[in-house]
Amino acid sequence: MSKKFKVSICSGTTCYVLGGAQMMVLEDCLPADIKDEVEVVGSSCLQKCHEPNAKPPFVLINDYLMESASMTKVIDYIREHR
Amino acid sequence: MNYINNAAIIKRQVMVRLAKLILDDTIQDNIDLIPVLMTPKNSESVRCCIHHDRAVVRSRVKVLLGFAAASESQSDEVKLLKDYAADAVQKGEDKFDESILTVIDDACSACIRSKYQVTNACRGCVARPCIMNCPKKAIRFEGGHAIIDENLCVSCGICEKVCPYHAIVYQPIPCEEACPVNAISKDEFGKEKIDPQKCVYCGKCMLACPFGAIMERSEMFDVLRDIKDPGKTTVAMVAPSIAGQFNTDFGKVVSALKKMGFDKVVEVAYGADITAQKETEEFVERLEHKESFMTSSCCPAYVQVVKKHIPSIQSYVSTTLSPMIYTGEWVSNQWPGATRVFIGPCVAKRFEARESTYVDNVMTYEELGSIFIAAGVDVVECDEQEPDKSASSVGRGFAVSGGVANAVIASAASCGVKAVSKPVNGINNKTVSLLRVLDKTIKEPAFVEVMTCEGGCLNGPGVTSSPVIAKKFLEKMLK
Repeated sequence: MSKKFKVSICSGTTCYVLGGAQMMVLEDCLPADIKDEVEVVGSSCLQKCHEPNAKPPFVLINDYLMESASMTKVIDYIREHR
Repeated sequence: MNYINNAAIIKRQVMVRLAKLILDDTIQDNIDLIPVLMTPKNSESVRCCIHHDRAVVRSRVKVLLGFAAASESQSDEVKLLKDYAADAVQKGEDKFDESILTVIDDACSACIRSKYQVTNACRGCVARPCIMNCPKKAIRFEGGHAIIDENLCVSCGICEKVCPYHAIVYQPIPCEEACPVNAISKDEFGKEKIDPQKCVYCGKCMLACPFGAIMERSEMFDVLRDIKDPGKTTVAMVAPSIAGQFNTDFGKVVSALKKMGFDKVVEVAYGADITAQKETEEFVERLEHKESFMTSSCCPAYVQVVKKHIPSIQSYVSTTLSPMIYTGEWVSNQWPGATRVFIGPCVAKRFEARESTYVDNVMTYEELGSIFIAAGVDVVECDEQEPDKSASSVGRGFAVSGGVANAVIASAASCGVKAVSKPVNGINNKTVSLLRVLDKTIKEPAFVEVMTCEGGCLNGPGVTSSPVIAKKFLEKMLK
């Protein structure tokens, strides 16, 4: 069965240095209530950082692109949309 | 513990902007815009208003240009950043006096002096054990609540322990709490000041301050200038803790460094191989002369701890040079006249480099990452490339606590000398006390590896990756 949320964390250098590094451990930090619904897929650069006024780090949750992402923001979003 | 937070991200955003201006050669035109671009009109302010935020950003830029944050005169207060940039070009190395870490007064929140606070959970009870037990009579009652007089309080903590409602809380001053050697304290205005006589450049206060008020005086301006100069050969000497800093293998970092403009890339782990070998020889010799123990010397903050605070164990510190210095020596012979830039996670290395003739500049991974962003170099997308000098897994192991000790003890054993490992993993108040009595407590032949950062360099103040991730990559490199 495929999981409901597919999360790709941009690991391009811009996102990684400006806050994305912390999210690399997301998979191990998912709370029990949403753990089974989330699949963290690796991603190189999502190419969003090149746009003007971009707010890295970026995370793609299914079709939703989150800017200035953080671990708690991702978890909150998933809880709200499950 | 080094964790990502807003203050760190803002600092890096400023770094990226400044690096971009240096690389584009538009610093004179645009540097004074950085504070405004960081906090545009009508944006949400973090502090009281955008003007305060901008003042702090201005100071950050000044520090990133290599200056101390404090103004020396009234005219400094209104001096344009572009004038500082011009000074930075002129002054070069000379702008570095003793201080490496600098406090931005505008950013320092002047945290309350008293470490114990009565919260509104105080019920104004009849028993009043806080008043009864306070040895300094620092607590009085006003409006039905206990109040601590911060001028009398000596922060003994008895009131906190005896309050039946847990209404008194301990409120640390983060930077002072983090400093292992009491080098940071308040001036008469409540702002923090670092005592250069005591500071060991560990960088713990910088990480601890929730306002990002403490910064290290950067050398990225000088490094970028040399990189852009076609007449100069620039050599990146990369510390073993580079593993996983950009969530990729080292080979990609090598080509990213070259793309960014470095002519040569050398692993400092090569110097660590030499350190391991020489330190073993020294250790074996010392034990043969009936010395009971020897401590490592590759951690520059620890070397300062001993020099400034525990001179009684100075003679036990290995006199072998650090991996950075051996690497710098090799580079100097290989490419005479080249600019030698050490890239690592460390604040204290800046001091060590200044004292040495083999290293010109020091940059952190955080600065390097910001420059990558500014130069549009994505490390993940780069090809794998071999460094111009690589190293063995022994030297690479120096990045984690235990790495140095394992190397020295194993090779001493192969010379028939048996010794135990007594590592000190992380410098804090407690381990400083332990070190003070080291010469009296060690009874059997021992090698004492001291790492100022808990876990080793992978957990240094200038890293970009969580140590958990970095360790995975390092383990791969050690195979």
